[in-house]
Amino acid sequence: MHPETRVALALVAPTLIAVVGLFLYPLGLTLVFSFGRVDLATFSVAEFVGFSNYMRIIRDPSFQAIALRTVYFGAFISLATTIIAFLFSLLLNQAFWGRGIVRVAVIVPWAVPSVVAGILWGQMFNAQHGFINGLIRVLGGEGGTIWLGEPMLALHAIIIAETWRGLPLATLVLLAGLQMLPSSVYEAADVDGATAWQKFRHVTIPLMWPLLLPLLILQFVFAMKSFDIIFVLTGGGPRMGTTTLNYYVYQRGLEAFRFGDAAAAAYILTILMLLVIGALAFVRWRQGLREGEAPE
Amino acid sequence: MTRRRRNLIHKMAVYIGALIVFLIMAFPLYNLFLTSVQRESDVRSPDISFIPEYIMLDHYQTVLSPGHIVPIREAMANSLLVSTLTALITMLLAVPATYALTRMRLRGRNYILLGLASIYLLPTILFVFPLFIQAVRVGLVDTYVGLLIPYVAFTLPFTIIILRAFLQGIPVEIEEAARIDGCNQFQLFFRIVLPLMKPGILAGLLVIFILSWIEFLTPLLFTRDIQILTVVLGLYRSTYDIHLGQMAAAAIIASLPVVLLITVFQRLITRVVVSGGGGE
Repeated sequence: MHPETRVALALVAPTLIAVVGLFLYPLGLTLVFSFGRVDLATFSVAEFVGFSNYMRIIRDPSFQAIALRTVYFGAFISLATTIIAFLFSLLLNQAFWGRGIVRVAVIVPWAVPSVVAGILWGQMFNAQHGFINGLIRVLGGEGGTIWLGEPMLALHAIIIAETWRGLPLATLVLLAGLQMLPSSVYEAADVDGATAWQKFRHVTIPLMWPLLLPLLILQFVFAMKSFDIIFVLTGGGPRMGTTTLNYYVYQRGLEAFRFGDAAAAAYILTILMLLVIGALAFVRWRQGLREGEAPE
Repeated sequence: MTRRRRNLIHKMAVYIGALIVFLIMAFPLYNLFLTSVQRESDVRSPDISFIPEYIMLDHYQTVLSPGHIVPIREAMANSLLVSTLTALITMLLAVPATYALTRMRLRGRNYILLGLASIYLLPTILFVFPLFIQAVRVGLVDTYVGLLIPYVAFTLPFTIIILRAFLQGIPVEIEEAARIDGCNQFQLFFRIVLPLMKPGILAGLLVIFILSWIEFLTPLLFTRDIQILTVVLGLYRSTYDIHLGQMAAAAIIASLPVVLLITVFQRLITRVVVSGGGGE
């Protein structure tokens, strides 16, 4: 073995041990749990039951609703976050007085603890004294909507809260991308007499596309992992209307103590995530081929 | 349309857009702030005055007084301790690992990096049950060590990803020149690489500190005892309390340290985090 390799191994070893012990081992044990009936007294698998945990969950009609809702939730948040963040970043890329303040306002929600975000959106959506109903009343509406009392409304309230939380990072990533675009391309477009819209449509969007798609995927992943806001804001209710897959796993495991079901549901969530990520990555790959990029 | 007029319209559009962006992001925070400085009766009144007629700091005083239902000062101290230790330990593990995985002769290092990136994307819920069970067995629930282990584990992959992106931005020629000048591996790392990585390490420390401070699921699972309550968890427990004004005041106190950090170090943090592509 090359002496440098030996040093390198020694430097990576603590991280590798942590990864194996704290990720791979639990990952494997969760997989084992998902095929078994877990004895709660000893926290070990009492008997192996094959795929019956998976089958029981999948056949449950309420689970099907949860899975569908989770994909809708993830798609809505990732699309909304990416599109709004793109608009935000285009704006922040302009020079204007007070840009620093707007930048801080955009970045702060990233560091706001999720529990605080849950509390503040709970107040915003409060039916009696929330700011949202208050604003509706100021604008002449009735403003008596009980946002968190009805499943569909509550789900979208959480989507709004999660989008608000996702916007800071997405905006900053896209802003960094915009600032790296070569100005020579825009100068060339100016020489050709392109309008602002043409420059946006035929220069900015194609150049930003390699950043937009990965961002979409990342936002989708974050949305699928959403937990804290749901926990604080609605606890999965009303009538399970805001229970996503990730939250369902938590409920099955640590409220119902059905570790076998929870483990199976956790793996279904992971497979679902990988499928969507794979599909989006496939779109990107096909597009790369069409544009004549060398496939990676 | 003359050029001047078009410029004026453009400028107005930018300012209106800036106002909208500012309102969307700041309005919810303003709601929280207003709740924390108004009398409870005014907070609960449906006649909302968006511009306050008075500012009252009683809620802050009540929340900070000893014996309050949320032990916010003790919880802040716990959060400070756990977040600082997490940042230091994670960095101590991450810097050497990043250097080895980026610059050194190590077969399969790309697979290790791919593995770290995938771990970062997988749902946390996939790992926590066995960890929780193990913590119960070994008696690590309600101990600082029991908190630190999952905190460090959950921040380590992301830290290595952002540090690697930072290290890749440093030209390798500097290290090659030092090697030619007779630096050994040890000197190279401590005299050349570490000083160059300082901004990345500082940003990394800040990010880990913030992520640990705002972490919710880990303390929710691994602590029951009020003695080692983190501030975020304490806040959640206080939602059983019905005083909205006090809850808002506590929420602002709990957010203040990390919000200040991100405001002061926003350029450094965004530069480093953005290159690594995320952070939850």
